[in-house]
Amino acid sequence: MKKKSLKIIFGLVILGFLLIQIYPVIWLFLASVKPTVELASAPFALPKSITFDNFIKVLSDGKIGTYMWNSLKVTSISLILIIALSSTAGYALSKFKVRGTKNLYTFFTFGIMIPVQITLIPLFIFYGKMGILNTSFSMILPQVGFALPLSVMMFVNFYSFVPNELIEAAVMDGCSPYRIFFQIVFPLSRNTIITIASMYSILIWNDFIFANTFISESSAKTVAMGLKDYVGAFGNVDWGSTFAAIVISILPPLLIYFSLNKWVTAGMTAGATKG
Amino acid sequence: MGVIRNKKAFFVFLLPGLLFYILAVFYPIEESIRLSFMKWGGIGEKEFVGFANYIAMFKDKVFYTAFFNNLIYLLIVVIMQLSIGLLFAILLTYMTKRVTLVKTLYYVPCIITTVAVTQMFRSMYSTEPMGLLNQILQIVGMDQFVKPWLADIHTVLAAVSVPEGWRFTGMYMVIFYAALVSLDPSVYEAAKVDGATELQILFKIKIPLIKDILLLTLTMCLTGALRGFDIPFLLTSGGPGNASELMSTYMYKKAFSSNQYGYGSALAVFIIVESILVVFVLRKLFTSKDEAEARKIERLQRKGRKN
Repeated sequence: MKKKSLKIIFGLVILGFLLIQIYPVIWLFLASVKPTVELASAPFALPKSITFDNFIKVLSDGKIGTYMWNSLKVTSISLILIIALSSTAGYALSKFKVRGTKNLYTFFTFGIMIPVQITLIPLFIFYGKMGILNTSFSMILPQVGFALPLSVMMFVNFYSFVPNELIEAAVMDGCSPYRIFFQIVFPLSRNTIITIASMYSILIWNDFIFANTFISESSAKTVAMGLKDYVGAFGNVDWGSTFAAIVISILPPLLIYFSLNKWVTAGMTAGATKG
Repeated sequence: MGVIRNKKAFFVFLLPGLLFYILAVFYPIEESIRLSFMKWGGIGEKEFVGFANYIAMFKDKVFYTAFFNNLIYLLIVVIMQLSIGLLFAILLTYMTKRVTLVKTLYYVPCIITTVAVTQMFRSMYSTEPMGLLNQILQIVGMDQFVKPWLADIHTVLAAVSVPEGWRFTGMYMVIFYAALVSLDPSVYEAAKVDGATELQILFKIKIPLIKDILLLTLTMCLTGALRGFDIPFLLTSGGPGNASELMSTYMYKKAFSSNQYGYGSALAVFIIVESILVVFVLRKLFTSKDEAEARKIERLQRKGRKN
């Protein structure tokens, strides 16, 4: 008897925690399909009628399309660069017999400790001089730079499991270091690539700080920043459109997360525990 | 550990990444330090002023406000993330069914953009229309506590800290859970046989065993909170007045709203020094403890041999 009531309490606590954690997200989806009047009068009640007016309004003004495209561009180019640069650097640091690799590795991993805010002022000035503020490139450079420490670390970790005998044998057979990389080492690291790609696609898609600093023109804005547009002048917020826009913008990360859940959490926790 | 002896190939593979990293991470650090000794408003010549920016910083009242606000922010965020994360991870270890589902859902806030998080919390805190928090207060009959949480200087700091704490609790839960389930059950099964209660096992065996993970998460939490920016900046941008000003929001404002790039850089350098110091101190604190323990074990072993 006592055990049973304990079990019920336990279940309720779990449910309660879960509710706190995901209620705001559910509420967001509900709010986005509420008619404006209802949203103002009873923002937290269940919707009495469902409307997609908010979505139509957001989609029809066309801005969100531009923002999504910009986010997609920044995210995909950054990902390609992150994978390309960290897999090669990781290969160099783990499989080559050259002096100083240890120090170089430490140098790379040191970047994990650096707060990204330090880059804002110098990069803003630098971009201003080069005339590349308000371009996607201005966001890609710091995104990739700050992703490198962790992703290099993850590749070095993975490559340390690739047996040296395998590579030695390839060297004996006259295989060049380039072929070893492209035909043996890189294809083997598929899981590491998926982890890094899934984790950083979400992080970069969501970035606010670089976008907000380097981008001011509407044509180059990314989704995360564009959301701020729905807060009008004098703080008048069009809540219906805001929520619809938020829902549209968080769909891609949610999709990636629910399909690659295992890899995303693995990457984030690795990112976390290596800090 | 390496096997390939080809210097040219080594550089071909290493240099692109290394150069990118230096340009994106180290060039800004060097520039920030250099700029922190300059006076510059964005146009015209930079003027070398020595330590003037740092002296001004230590005389600046807002700097101290931001610093102490940051400490409170840090306290709230760390306590929320570590205690709730750990508590929930422990509860999860007693769950038998649907653990993956709960874990997956619990993690969702971590993958939502901060802009969305702030909009959600902004409407929860609001009074016009009545937000969720104030509605709940009314329902439970605490009308006197209904207030515009973000506009009240006494509550605004806590109000901007809670969303940040909430957001990453799921991540810490996943880390703690992974650490707890990877423990070898034989370690505490013996204690169970000897009649130890669940709570004793938890506090005397399981939690001490994941000490390393606790240190790591504490480091992450602390450095993360020292850099705290997005949510406070979006919710209040430091206001009203400077009531919710943090180091990084103050730095951002000085640089990009008042165009004091030199002074902003001095603040940025302060944040970086703070972060590195925290990591260093925590590491020192915990390794010295480990060493002490290692010595203790050694002593016990020597004793055992003598007997």
